Amino acid sequence: MLKKPVLIPNAILYVVLVYGLPMGVTTRSSISLTNRLAGRLIRFPIAITVAVHLALLYTTLHLWAGISDYRTLVLKLTLIAVMLTLSLNVINGYMGEFSCSHPGFMALGAYCASVFTVGLFVDDQFFGAVFLPPALGPFLFPVALILGGFLASFGALFVAIPSFRTRGDYLAIISLAFLFIVKSLIENLEFVRGPRGLSGQPDWADLPTVFLWTVLCVWSINNFVRSTLGKALNAVRDNEMAASAMTVDTRRTKIVAFLFAAFWAGVAGGLFAHVLRYVNPSTFSIQNLAEVLAMVYFGGLNSVYGSIVGAVSISLLGEALRPLEIFKWIIIPLLLILVMIFRPTGLIAFKDLDVTSLLRPKQNPDGEV
Amino acid sequence: MAFSLSGWAHAETIKIGINAELTGDIPKVGEGTKFAAQMWLEDVKAAGGLAVGKKKYAVELVLEDNESKAESAVKVATKMITEDGVLVMVGPQASKQAIPAGGIANNYKTVMISPWSTNPDTTKDRPYVFRACFLDPFQGPVVANFISTEFKFTKAAVLYDVASDYPKGLAEFFKKAWEGKHGKGSVVAYESFTTKDTDFSSQLTKIINSGAQVLFTPQYYNEVALIVQQAHQLGWKKPIVGSDSWGSAETVKLCGKDCYGTFFSTHYAAAGATGATKAFIDRYKAKYGYVPDDVAALTWDSMLLVQQAIQNTGGLTGDLKKDRENVRTAMSQIKKFKGITGEMTFSGGGDPVKCAVIVKISDAGEFTFYKSVCP
Repeated sequence: MLKKPVLIPNAILYVVLVYGLPMGVTTRSSISLTNRLAGRLIRFPIAITVAVHLALLYTTLHLWAGISDYRTLVLKLTLIAVMLTLSLNVINGYMGEFSCSHPGFMALGAYCASVFTVGLFVDDQFFGAVFLPPALGPFLFPVALILGGFLASFGALFVAIPSFRTRGDYLAIISLAFLFIVKSLIENLEFVRGPRGLSGQPDWADLPTVFLWTVLCVWSINNFVRSTLGKALNAVRDNEMAASAMTVDTRRTKIVAFLFAAFWAGVAGGLFAHVLRYVNPSTFSIQNLAEVLAMVYFGGLNSVYGSIVGAVSISLLGEALRPLEIFKWIIIPLLLILVMIFRPTGLIAFKDLDVTSLLRPKQNPDGEV
Repeated sequence: MAFSLSGWAHAETIKIGINAELTGDIPKVGEGTKFAAQMWLEDVKAAGGLAVGKKKYAVELVLEDNESKAESAVKVATKMITEDGVLVMVGPQASKQAIPAGGIANNYKTVMISPWSTNPDTTKDRPYVFRACFLDPFQGPVVANFISTEFKFTKAAVLYDVASDYPKGLAEFFKKAWEGKHGKGSVVAYESFTTKDTDFSSQLTKIINSGAQVLFTPQYYNEVALIVQQAHQLGWKKPIVGSDSWGSAETVKLCGKDCYGTFFSTHYAAAGATGATKAFIDRYKAKYGYVPDDVAALTWDSMLLVQQAIQNTGGLTGDLKKDRENVRTAMSQIKKFKGITGEMTFSGGGDPVKCAVIVKISDAGEFTFYKSVCP
C-alpha cells in the first residue's frame, strides 16, 4: 500500500538536515546579535517595531513559497485556516460555547465575495458583462471580503438571537441546523449555479493579500479578547450568573463576540473562494467543520498562540503525510487523541499573546524568559 | 524557473500524474482509476518503456489522493504540475474535483484528461483540458429517446439529488429532452433529495401516485440500491432507468435482485464484450478479482489516449513547457481512436464525439449490452 516506505525516514532526515540543522545553528549563533537588534527596535514606537517584524516574517514566507506554486498554495490555505481557527476559538474557547456553524459563515462569505467580484469584474453568462473596469478590481477586493464578512455576521444573528436566550447545548444544535440551512439554500439558488458551484473568480488573492488579511485578523481578534469585552466574555464563560451580577450584559457580550467571529469566518471564506477560484456548496460540509474543530482543540482553547499552532500544524501535517496515503487518516486522528489525553485543553491553551513581550529582547538567551 | 529545472532533471523519464479519489466519498472510483493506470504501466514496462520518436522513455506514475475534496484536488494538481513536473495529468474523476483542478491545469498549460467527469464546465473554454466520456447534454436526450422508442411511454418521473451537480444536471437535461418530445407537463413528478439521505419513501410515494410510467434516477451506486429497493417495497412495478453513474461494480452487490431488469445508459457493457474490451475485462478480473466498472475502462482509454498523444508528438524536446504544448496539440487532433469504450474523435474542443450504450442488468446480475445509441 505504501509506495516506498523506506523514503519516510529519509524524508525526515532530509528535513532535519536541510531545514532543521541550519536553522538551529543560525538561530543559536545569532542570538546575541538579534537580541541587541531587538533591544534597539523596541525603543521605537511599537507600531514600527511590529511592522519591521512582520515585514521580516513575510520576506521569509515569500522566499520559502517562491520555490514553487504548490508551496504558495499550501501557505495561502494554511493562513486561511489560521483565520478560521482563530475566529472559531473566540466562540468555542473564549466564550465557552460549542458552535458548529463555521463552514456556514465561511460559505456565506465565500459566495457573497464571489458574487461581488464575478458579477462586477468578470464577463460571464450569469451576471452579464463586465460592470467596472478590471483595473479597479484589486482595490475593491477588500470591499468584497468585508461585504462577505458582514453577510456572515448577519447570518450569525439568526443563530445568536434564539440560542443566547439560554445557556447549554442549544447553540450547538441551532448552529448545526444553520450550517445545513445555508448549504441547502445555496444548493437551491440557481443564480449562483446551485450544486454546480461558482467558478471564474479573478485571481486577486495572492500571497501578500492573504498574509495582510491574516495579520489584520490576528491583530483584531487578539485586541478583542484582551479588551474589557473579551474579559467580560471569559467571565460569562466561567460563570454567567456571577458575570451578570458584576454588571456584565451577558447577552450583548455573547452576541457581539459571536458576530465578530462570524465576520472573520466570512472574510476567510471570501479569501478561500478566490484562492481556489471555484466554490461549491459541498465544500462547506461537516468534514470542513471537523477539520476546523480539530485545529481549534489541537492547538488549544482560549489562546491566540494555540489557534495559530493548531491551524499550521494540522495543515502542514496533512500535506507532509501525503505520501502515507490512507495511513495519514490514522496518524492525524491518533495525534489528536494523544493531545486530548495528555493536554485536554489543547497544546497551548489559556495563554495571552502579548506582542510587546514577544518582541522584547530576551533576558536569558539560553532558555525561555 | 521551476518548470525548466524539473524539465531538465527528468528528461529521460516521462511522468504522468494520476489525481484520484482514493479516500473520501467514492473510494471505489479511486481504486478503479489506480488499478487501470497500474495495468497500463505494466504494459509500458513490459515493452521496455514508451517509444516516442526514436527514443524509449521510462514512465513513472505520480499517484496522489485528492480525498474527494475540491481544495485537495487543486493542491494535488498544483503539486504534480509544479513540483513533480508531470507531462500529463489524468483525473480527477468526479466533476466536483475536475472543474477546479482543470482550471489549474489550464493555467499552467498542462494537458489534463478527466476520464469520467461529465459536467460541461470541466472543459469549457479550457484548451488544455480533455475528457474521455460523453457529456450530460448528450446523455439526457439519449435516455429520453431510448425510453420513448423502447416502451412508448409518455409520462416519466425523475428522482435526483439536488445537492450534487452530476445528478442535478442530468435530471435537468432529461426533463428538457422529455418535455421537448412529449409536451410540457409530461414529466409528472420531479422529486429531489439531498446527498446522504437514506429514506426516499415520501418522494417515491408522490412518484407512484403521479401516474408516471417510468422512473429515471441518475444517482450514484450507493443511492441506487436504496432507491430501487424502497420503490419496490412501496409497490412500484414499472421500469426504472438510470445513467452512467450506475455502472459501478458495487451497484448489483448492494442492490441485489431488486436491480435486475433495470436499464441504464453508460460508456460500455462488460457482459458480452468482444475484442480489446473483453481482453481488458478478463485481465482486470484475473488481477483484481472483480469486473471493472466504467471508471476503470474510461481510465484505461484515457491512459491510451495520453500515450497516443505523446507518441504523436514525434519526439520530446526535454523542455517540459514545450512538450506539454506539443502533447496538447497532438491530443486535440486525435481522430477515430479505437478505445474500449468506443471510438473517439476530438474535433476542436476537449470533448470527444462517441456513442452511448444502453445496458440492461440481467437476471444473473450482469451488465449486458442492450443497444448502442449514437448522436
